[in-house]
This record gives sequence, C-alpha cells and structure tokens, in this order.
Amino acid sequence: MRLEDFLLMRHELLLTLIAIIILIAEIFTDDFKKQGIRPLSIILMAIVTIVGFLPAPTGTLFGGMYQATDMRLMMKNILNIGALIVFIQSASWLKSDDNQNKVSEFFLLLISTLIGMNFMISSGDFLMFYLGLELATIPIAALAAYDRYSNKSSEAGIKLILISALSSGILLYGISMIYGTVGSVYFDKVSVAYGATPLQIMSFIFFFTGMAFKISIVPFHLWTADVYEGAPVNVTSYLSVVSKGAAVFIFSIMLVTVFQNIAAMWKDVMWITAAITMTLGNLFAMRQNNLKRFLAFSSISQAGFIMLGIIGGSELGMAAVVYYILVYIFSNLGAFGVIAAISNASGGKENMSDYDGLYKTNPALSLTLTLALFSLAGIPPVAGFFGKFFLFTAVAEKGYWWLLTIAVLNTIISLYYYLLPVKAMFINKAETSIAYFKSDGWTKVGLIICVAGMVIVGFASVIFEYIRTLSFGL
Amino acid sequence: MTFLFYLLAAVAILSALMVVFSRSPINSVIFLIICFLSIAGHYILLNAQFLAVVHIIVYTGAIMVLFLFVIMLLNLNTSNEPHKSQLTRITAVITGGLLLLVLIAATKDAVLIQAKNPADYNIGLVKQIGQTLFKQFLLPFEISSVLFISAMVGAVMLGKKDSKKN
Amino acid sequence: METWELLSKIIFLFVILAITLVVAMYSTYAERKVAAFMQDRLGPNRAGPYGLLQPLADGLKMFMKEEIIPTMANRTLFILGPSIAMTTALLTGVVIPWGGNLTIAGHVISLQVADLNIGILYIFAMVSIGVYGIMLGGWASNNKYALLGSVRAASQMISYELAMGMAIIALVLTTGTLSLKEIVDQQQGWHWNIFYQPLGFLIFLVCAFAETNRAPFDLPECETELIGGYHTEYSSMKLGFYLFAEYINMFISAAVIATLYFGGYNFPFLNRLPLDANVLTILGSVVFFLKIFFLIFLFMWIRWTLPRFRYDQLMNLGWKGFIPISIANIMVTGVVIYFKELFF
Repeated sequence: MRLEDFLLMRHELLLTLIAIIILIAEIFTDDFKKQGIRPLSIILMAIVTIVGFLPAPTGTLFGGMYQATDMRLMMKNILNIGALIVFIQSASWLKSDDNQNKVSEFFLLLISTLIGMNFMISSGDFLMFYLGLELATIPIAALAAYDRYSNKSSEAGIKLILISALSSGILLYGISMIYGTVGSVYFDKVSVAYGATPLQIMSFIFFFTGMAFKISIVPFHLWTADVYEGAPVNVTSYLSVVSKGAAVFIFSIMLVTVFQNIAAMWKDVMWITAAITMTLGNLFAMRQNNLKRFLAFSSISQAGFIMLGIIGGSELGMAAVVYYILVYIFSNLGAFGVIAAISNASGGKENMSDYDGLYKTNPALSLTLTLALFSLAGIPPVAGFFGKFFLFTAVAEKGYWWLLTIAVLNTIISLYYYLLPVKAMFINKAETSIAYFKSDGWTKVGLIICVAGMVIVGFASVIFEYIRTLSFGL
Repeated sequence: MTFLFYLLAAVAILSALMVVFSRSPINSVIFLIICFLSIAGHYILLNAQFLAVVHIIVYTGAIMVLFLFVIMLLNLNTSNEPHKSQLTRITAVITGGLLLLVLIAATKDAVLIQAKNPADYNIGLVKQIGQTLFKQFLLPFEISSVLFISAMVGAVMLGKKDSKKN
Repeated sequence: METWELLSKIIFLFVILAITLVVAMYSTYAERKVAAFMQDRLGPNRAGPYGLLQPLADGLKMFMKEEIIPTMANRTLFILGPSIAMTTALLTGVVIPWGGNLTIAGHVISLQVADLNIGILYIFAMVSIGVYGIMLGGWASNNKYALLGSVRAASQMISYELAMGMAIIALVLTTGTLSLKEIVDQQQGWHWNIFYQPLGFLIFLVCAFAETNRAPFDLPECETELIGGYHTEYSSMKLGFYLFAEYINMFISAAVIATLYFGGYNFPFLNRLPLDANVLTILGSVVFFLKIFFLIFLFMWIRWTLPRFRYDQLMNLGWKGFIPISIANIMVTGVVIYFKELFF
C-alpha cells in the first residue's frame, strides 16, 4: 500500500484524527478550560466537512474491502454536513450544568459513529459493512442515555441498545447464510454468485429485516417513537437524520449492487413495506401531541417515501434518494433545532399545545419551524417539494402507478398533520405561551444553515444535476 | 475425531438449550460457560489452538465473569419475569415454529459448497492468524479498535461521577 | 502415537501430579517455618523431626473435620467451587517444560507433557477459568462476606490479568514464540529473559502475587475485614481444596516465572559439563526446581514483610499503575526490536 492510497480514506482518517485530538484535549485540559472543547470540536468538524468537498481520487483498497467512488464520497459529505449541523445545534445545550462535564464525550461518540457510517458506506464486503454498522450504532445508544437523571433517557438508551443488538444479530445471521451459500463476503463476488435458492432468499429476508430495524420501516419500527422521545433532542435529531441517512445510503447501494440478481423479488417486498410504512407512519403521526414523538412517526413515513426511490432502482431513483436525504437533513434538523432551542429555553416543553401562540412571542423560530415543516410535507417553494417530486418521478418512470397513488394520497394526509403545529403557532390563542427568549449564536448559526439549505438546495438545480451525474442504478 | 465432534456438538447444543430453559439466571450463565468451552473444543478439533484458547480467555474468562458479577450483585437468583399472557405465548410459539419450518425447508435443499482450503490444517495457528489479521484484514481490525474505544468512552460517560450532584 | 509414548506420557503426568501435590503440601510447612523465622519463633516442630510430618497431620485433620453445607446455600455450586479451583490449578502443570529430553532404551522422552504452541495462553486460559471457582464458591455460600470476598477476588484477578497479559506480550515480542519449550530453549547460558525484559518481569511478578491472591494482595480473604473471604462458609476438605489450590497456584506461578524469565531448566555452562545427556537433563530439572523453590521463598518472604493494600490502592495500582507501564513496556520493546532489525 502506498502513502497516496491513504487519500482515498480521507474522510475516515480525518474524522479519526479529530476524534483523537478531542480525546487528548479532554485528557489534558483542566476542568475550567473544558468549555473550549465545544468550539474546538465544531471548528474541527467544519474543517473536515469542507476538506471533504475537495476533489479526491477514487479507487479500491485492501483487495476491494474499501471502495471509494464519487457517489460514496458525496454521501459521506452529506452525512458530514448533517453531523456538523447537529454539532452546532447542540452547542448551547451542552453548556447547561448537567452536561458540562461530559461535553467531549458527546462529540467523541458522535464522531465515532460518523467514522462507522463512513466506513459502512465505503464498504466493499460484508465484514466491513457489519463493523461500520456496529460502530455507527453502539455509541449512539450511549448517547441516547446521555441525560442520566431522566428515566426516559435511560429507557431510550436501553431500548436502542437492545434493538440494535437484536437487529444486528438478525443481520449477521443473514450474512452468515450468504457466506455459507456463496463462499465469499466480498460484494462483487456475492453479487455475481447470488441466485435465488431458498437459502439465499432466506438470507436476504434476514438481511432485509436487520436493515429494516435500522431504518425503522414499519413492521420493525416499534422502538422508534420511544427512543426518539426519550433521548435528548439533539441526539434524536442525529439519530433520525444522519444515522438513518447512512443506513439508507448503504442499503440502497447494496440492493442495486449485491442483490441485483434478485431485484424483482426485493422490489415486491419493498413495494409492500413502503406502502405500509408511509401509511402507518402518517396515521400514527396524526395522533401525537409530543413533538418529538410526532417527528419520530413523521420520520417513519419519510423512510417510506425514501424507499420509493430505491424501488425505482434506476439512476434517477438513486439520485433522488441521495438528494432527498440531503433535503431531509436540512428540513428535519431545522425542525429539531427549533424544538431543541425551545425545549432548552422553556425547561423541556415539547408538547404541541405548548406551542400555542408562539408566533406572537418568537416569530423567527416559528417561521423557521414552519419552513421546515413545509419542506418535510413537500409544499412547493421549499426543497422538500423537489425531493418528493424526484422520488415520485423515479417510481412513475418504472410504472408503479398504484404505489404512486398511495404515495400521493399519503402526501396529502401528511399535509394535514404537518400543518397542525403551524396552526398552533400562528392561529391558536394561548393564555401563557412560551415567553420570548434570545437564542445564542450557535443555535442561530445552526438554524440559518438549515434555512439556507432548504431554500438553496431547492432552487439550485445544479445540485441535483451533479448528484445525477454520479448516480448509478440497476 | 468424529466421535469427539459429535460429543462436543451435543454438549454445545444441550448446554445452549439449558441456557434458555433454566430458571435461575446463574444456572444460565454456567451453562453458557459450558457451551463456550465446548465450542473451544471444536476449535481444537480444527487445529485452531490459538482461537480456542483466546475464546476461553476472552469469553469464558472475561465476559462471562462480568455476567456473573452483574447477576451476583443484583442478586437475580430467582427468575422474576413478568407473566406473559396465554395469547402472547401461543402467538410466539406459532411464529417461532413457522420460522423454524421455513428455515428447515430452506436449508434442506441447500447445496454444499466446497471449502476453500480443505486440507490446510495450519490455518488456525498463531502465525497464520497473525498474517491474515494484519495483512488481509488490517482495516477491519483497526476499525474494531475504534469501536472498542468508542464503546469505552460511552461506558465511561454513563458511569462518570457528576462533580456537581453527588 | 505409539503405545509406549502414550504410556510414558501418562506416567509422567502422574509424576507431575504427585510432585505438584507434594510441593504444595510442603509449601504450607515452609510457609509456617518462614513465618516463624521472620517473627523469631520456632514454627511447627512437634510432628516428626523438625515438624516435617506437620502437612500430613494437617491434611488428616482437614479430612476428619465435620463437613458443613449451609442450609440456604446452593449445594451444587457450593461443591463445584472448590472443585473448579483445584482442577484448574492442577491443569496448568501440563504445559510447563520440567526438563529436557531423556533417552531411555532408545526412546526419547520429553519432560513436558504437552508442548502446545500457545503454551502461555493456555496457562492464561486456565487461570481465567480458575476465577469461577472462587466466584461460584463465594456466591453459593449465601453469605455476604463470602460474596464480597469473591467479588473482590474476581475483580482483582481480572484487573491484574490485563497487565500480566501485556507483560507477556512484550516478552513474546522478544522471543517470537508462544511455546514455553521454545522460550526455554532460547535462554541457554546466561540469555535469561529477565535481562531483556526487566520491567516486564517486575510487572509479571507483582501480577502473579495478585493472581494467586497472596499478600500483599490477599484482600479477597483478609481476615480482619471479611472473616475469611470467599471460603468463610467452607469447612473440611472443601476448605482444604481452596487452601491447597492457592499453594498449587503459587508453585505453578513460580514455575512459570522461572520458565519465562529465569531460563527454565537452563543454567550457565550447562553444555560445557562433560556429562551424559541424561544426567545433564536431570541436573537441569534439579536446577529448575531450585529456581522454583527460591521463587516460592520470595512469595513467602514478601507475604511476611509487606502489609496488605487497601482495596482502592490495589485497583489504582492495577489500572493506573501497571497497565500504562506495561503498555509503555510493549512500545519500548517494539521500537527497540524494530531498530535492531533495521540496523543490525
């Protein structure tokens, strides 16, 4: 291996480097200087994000175990952006007394999950894929239990670790069957040798189930709401956006490469699960009052929409998935950012009824939340609309008209509940609405980035075109 | 050798079943230890002495001791699982049974693939494992070290004493 | 394997077993004598000349005592505990090379039961299973002192196993093998590993004290706080097993230290002596046992000189003292080896 080859692993190596820097900073700084770790981590992450966009070579390493293509680099960059926004948004939350003594742990754990996700996306064999997946999930479970004095947070932590252990077990079982029938764990070898013998179909079912847990597709979504509600808001936002995005990326890559031989089969499975996921997610989201739970179910139904692009399976579909995740990062993080800011300022008010009359007291935050919800719902001027549009096009292109109908109907249903908080903020009258407060600089920066993202990504068609050129499909 | 294999396999499966069936958690742990030891025996049959011993050191000697620790300190002597309703049990049995049926049906027609190095008895020795681990599988190896570090950081974070609240 | 070879192995196995038991038995006697010497007393001197029959009398006493199993105890585990402790203690002896090769009537007999290529790790595995003997026994007694003692013992052993393992890693770096036989063969003449790995030896020695639960690390059974630790509820020969296992462990760890760091059955000028090969082998074994006895004496010497640690001191020493030092030791060893290969 030559020294230049390390350039291929630029993202991962840089992230590992900053993880080590933060670790050393944590060890060798005095307690009263620990506050400096927050800006340090954010700046380092920003540098990594920017460096990630520099042009990079592509190729494979370690005999195909590690693959770097332009598309995968793009995916990593998208995840980096998401993580950066989460970093910025959690800065003011980490300043509170309860969290002060574990600031660097928060960043370290997030960065290590990001390393895992990057390796997972670049994986060229099941071993790397599995290790990356574990690295991407285990630290998150610790983070979900971050708020040690809240029972709900501990519950979220234990639920997450149990569910991820269970799903990893199922996944591993599937992978072991694949290895047993094919005799190799390398993606390129598996994709060629993969047929449709009963055992191989079984292995795919196990694999699919394991991944479905991670993406929280409907029959396997039961953990989502509790975990999202219990975990601290910033962790929830990371979980619902970056973690889910990474899982979707690698899942779509694997479906169209490793499992391309049984595409007809997995498309049927996906068809049904996508329809159920969209519908059930929507129906449950309607009944929620806690905004974190609300966004949890909304993210379940969003996962259903994302699957549309994968079902399309074409280059357009893949590009639409990646683009949609990019849009989704900005929109969902915008929504979560507002909720986090309000929750921190008001001492944990997260219910929809608490938001009554918010526009009167905090107009800027209300507008941001409205914009984010519009984007999630797919209302025209914002980026979310274009995201959904491309997803629908990808399905229509392949002639899945029934699925398209269900999706459109679901979009209409979702309009209803996405507008509920908006109605609360703008129309409902309240005796005691949340008082005006001034958010600090970091929160503002985070929200501004989200708003800018929602607008710019929507209007700059360059971005979609660029993703399209990198895209691949069946 | 074949007899030993069947003996070890029987012990492994029986003890694994006992892990599930025994009422007291401490018995479960002990049966799990027996199960691990018999799996180590399988490794020795495959001439993978290094793996066998490391398996004993890591699983039996370290991880299971921690299991025992937790069970002893929490005094989980009697099983106090919440009682499941009859309906849940029936559904669980039916679904589990169906899964078993499908799995058996799927494996019944499976084709045996050729082992990669059928005659290589040195594959489990220390030198070979070291070469494989540090050449072919260097990257996964290093990633698992990152995984362990992050797991440690997480555990430390959860167990850390709060300086403000006592 | 031919019949005579199998037979010779079995006979040798029994010889080793007998030697182990006898040495452990007389270690108890030696311990009391050494203690007496340190404290300016006479020690046991009633049974036989110089009290030499004292261990037999002790053993007889143990057997004759009433056997009590507490009513609330878990009977199976209560009996399993001392059995595991004893078994694992005895099992370690098989990989230690007690001597070179003997040639009897044309047959070469190796004075080692099994030359595993992972001998060191095998010893580790046995030690790590040995923890269960103590943990199960302590828990099954249904006595809080016993439980506390067993938890202490287990955490102490696990903690020090890490540093011990890392000391071994540094040693393996220099020797390049995990087989005890090869390690001994490399140490001919004065090339003892203690000169190449002085720090590693020190770490290993201290960890061996902790692993065998010997003073100054005898917290699991410290009488002043815990009555008797994990074997509070034990009586009769089951208690005897625990106590005996401790002495066997001491003997075995002395043997392992002698093998790893003091050249095993090698001694300087071994090959220059104009003697028959068989005589040399036996001479080597005798020297090996002398080294072992000296190390056992060191164990006792330290026990009767140093006071006991406090528990937090023990843990701090293990986790914050020895582990970093042993990691540093590995790094230094690695760097030295790298540059040695680069330049020489």
